[in-house]
Amino acid sequence: MRSAEGQRRRPWPERFGRVQQGERLQLGLRNLYIVPTGFGGLWLAGAALLLVVGIQTQRNGPLLLSYLMLALLLLALHLSHDNLQGLELSCGTPRAGFADEPLLYPVRLRSRCRREAVVLGLSRGDTLPPQRLDAGQTQLALPWRCGQRGRHGPGTLLIRSSAPLGLFVCWSRWQPPLAQTVYPARRRGPVGLVSSATARQALDPQTHGSSEGSEHWHDLRPHRPQDSQTRLAWKALAQGRGRLTKVFADSASATPRLSPAGGVPHERALEHLCEAVWQHSRRGACFGLELPGQRIPPGQGREHRDRCLQALALCR
Amino acid sequence: MTPAQVLPPRRLQWLAQAVLTLGCLGVDPGWLLGIFTLVLVLMAALKLLEARDRAGRRLVALLQLVGCGLLAAQQPDLLPSLLQLLAAVLSLAGLLQLESGLSVGWRLLLRRSLRVMAAALPLALVLFLLVPRIGPFGAGAGWPSGGAATGLSETLDPGSIATLVDNAAPAARVAFSSNRPPPPAQRYWRVLVHSRFDGSRWLRDGDAERAPSGPPPGLIPPPTAAADSDQVWLVEPSRFTAVPWSGTASPLDPSLRPQPTGELRLLRPALERRSYRLLEQPGPPGWQMRPPRIVDLVLPLDRNPRLLALGRSWGSLPDPLARVQAAERWFRSQGFRYSRTPGNLPEPNGLDAFLFERREGFCGHYASAFSALMRAAGIPSRVVSGYRGGAWVVPMSGASYLELRQSDAHAWSEIWLPGRGWLGVDPSAWLAGGAPASAAAGEAAVGPVLGPLRWLQRQWWGLDMAWSRWWLGFDQTRQEALLTWLLGGRRGLLGWLILAGVALTLGLTLPLLRSRTAAVDRPGRDLAVLLRLLRGMGIEPAAGETLEQLSERAARRHPALQEPLAELVRCHAERRFGAGMDPAAARRARQRWQYSLQLLIRRRREALRLTPDPDRDHP
Repeated sequence: MRSAEGQRRRPWPERFGRVQQGERLQLGLRNLYIVPTGFGGLWLAGAALLLVVGIQTQRNGPLLLSYLMLALLLLALHLSHDNLQGLELSCGTPRAGFADEPLLYPVRLRSRCRREAVVLGLSRGDTLPPQRLDAGQTQLALPWRCGQRGRHGPGTLLIRSSAPLGLFVCWSRWQPPLAQTVYPARRRGPVGLVSSATARQALDPQTHGSSEGSEHWHDLRPHRPQDSQTRLAWKALAQGRGRLTKVFADSASATPRLSPAGGVPHERALEHLCEAVWQHSRRGACFGLELPGQRIPPGQGREHRDRCLQALALCR
Repeated sequence: MTPAQVLPPRRLQWLAQAVLTLGCLGVDPGWLLGIFTLVLVLMAALKLLEARDRAGRRLVALLQLVGCGLLAAQQPDLLPSLLQLLAAVLSLAGLLQLESGLSVGWRLLLRRSLRVMAAALPLALVLFLLVPRIGPFGAGAGWPSGGAATGLSETLDPGSIATLVDNAAPAARVAFSSNRPPPPAQRYWRVLVHSRFDGSRWLRDGDAERAPSGPPPGLIPPPTAAADSDQVWLVEPSRFTAVPWSGTASPLDPSLRPQPTGELRLLRPALERRSYRLLEQPGPPGWQMRPPRIVDLVLPLDRNPRLLALGRSWGSLPDPLARVQAAERWFRSQGFRYSRTPGNLPEPNGLDAFLFERREGFCGHYASAFSALMRAAGIPSRVVSGYRGGAWVVPMSGASYLELRQSDAHAWSEIWLPGRGWLGVDPSAWLAGGAPASAAAGEAAVGPVLGPLRWLQRQWWGLDMAWSRWWLGFDQTRQEALLTWLLGGRRGLLGWLILAGVALTLGLTLPLLRSRTAAVDRPGRDLAVLLRLLRGMGIEPAAGETLEQLSERAARRHPALQEPLAELVRCHAERRFGAGMDPAAARRARQRWQYSLQLLIRRRREALRLTPDPDRDHP
């Protein structure tokens, strides 16, 4: 919906032109389009008015200014084109994000000279405000949104500029080749819980959260650097007993295995799982994931979380 | 939701607006173009006040530029032209600022604006010089209505003027291409022609100011051999569209219309300072041979009986010229005196009282009485008012010019002689006491006492005159001459010439602009110099080695270089990674780099001198 809105907002010339494909895009004569802006048209009309006034009054002043405006128009045509010509675009490795939340798509720009007021945007997102690109390499993150999980391309990248005078708009369109992983949207709701100790039972995340609170630890062991800060025994630290990590009662024996809740549509169940994975991981809890045709053994940490989220994003 | 547009501050555009408004001060709102200009400038100010987005601000810049052009159409003098140029540069800078974002400083913007303008100027000049001029599509639109300012009077009624006040306000200036003024006897500059006489007053034709007639526009005479004997006039605001001229020159401006009576009308608002160019022509002008009308003989029979009787007594002479000579003899014999304070003349026979009782008055009295006498003698006559004489000013810089002040205003007579046409007669010259002071001022180049302000004014006017001669000088005629010189008879090549000119100027200016916009990677270039130096000493950078490691390695081999190398490494890190460094710090870093590099080179040279070169001993 938002992307459609974004499409509608763009002026017509920028919806025109072949979308370039490929790993990287070097802007040049073959892939840059340039037309006068509305302001360029007005500018021409102003020059014409001055020409008429100059002819009618037989004065040199308006004639010269009129020709000067025409000359600026002609110069602006080249300068606007030069502002983008030679710029090289390539995409960085996109980091995954959640559906219905802002995603950032990394784009690398290489330029041999400084470029003024370059506007970049994705067809499925907003455009960035005009950027000045210094000589060398610049990394930009373009915002976009996606409503569906999976691996998705960010749509068409539009790069345009009307610098230096705003008389011409020069643009190019490119389809960045790398797809970005989109996790399901995070939505609170029931998830299925398969525990090695208990039978499969449905759990509400709120009650689930409070029952697994940081108070229910049964032992302390020395803190290791890779341990989560959330499991640090702050009270012990305050008492001067050094950095200790809480060992939870269920972290070893009763590790929950998250699975889609029954009676909930599949996609919705995945969204609930996504939220549950996120919350578990934030608390530093140990959890596993069981999906139809896929099973991720219990684990902890960022890598484990990302593996679970990836599985959620790509599961059928 | 679009991200909120961050726009640069409006100061620059307000400054352009202020300069533009200042330039509007001399605009005549009685003319259509004047009203249009004022409305446009006002619109630009209002738009600037309310504009919230980039498009609105761009529109303001465009309106300002068009406003400059419209002002240039109305005020081509030096000072207004400078103001217009300033306003144009500022509005262009405002436009550039909109595109280049917030972080650009004032000075840089102005410099950039000037650079873009300078780049566009050659192209504009090619078009300006080569694109053929065309005449106006039709004139008379927005014809200005008469205003009010000091100057000559539409009605010449010397009897009602008791005292003539000497008004030293400037009236007009004229420069000659020969840079020599005409001889004093020829310095009669006609402005108004009064043909209707009611017994005491001389009036212009009733519809004189309203309906301009004359030859259709666009009839520009072809350039002649004497094309450089032209005059450039600058006329201060007056009440009339009629402007001073010698009567024999032919106009070079299609808005100048010679009238059948011998007036020259300029179709521009009279309330503005006007400038125009005339070409001196040897032959008699058209108006001079135009036969008189009934109105040139009308004389009320119930007034001034003694004048009528005197005139009729000359009317019996068969030769019209003899009648004029009789009148001259009579004037010279009667002991007339020039006076600025003649007092009012009685009604209804005022001219009788002047001629036969008081016998003193100023030029208006003499012209009026003489013309009436000639009409009584059966010779068509009329009164012409304008300026006589003028001071020849040679300023320190700029062009020499003849300066006419309101005190140079003069009136004389014109009579029609068969076969010779209209001839000017100045009865004031027959006075017993010699020529009046105001009319004789023509000889004196510079008055004995000249205030510093007046002196400054004259110097400025000299510059102004030079500018006007140069700027007004390039018109259709001059362009024709230029094109003829360039192309000869092959006019078909003009299109190609223009295209070639445009392509050439674009080809020359674009690379200039490009090389400036391409940012120079100075730290990178400097680093390459350092690496070359080190390589010369046999120290090659290894793969994956940082500059710091490399310099440490070099310092181990040449301990003397350690200090400058360490400094260079520091400087390089600062310059390369200190993004957003303020320009002063960047300059300092660059200076330190250069200093250290010099030190390094010196130490290296010393090191080489100390190390014996094995090759040198065995050539």
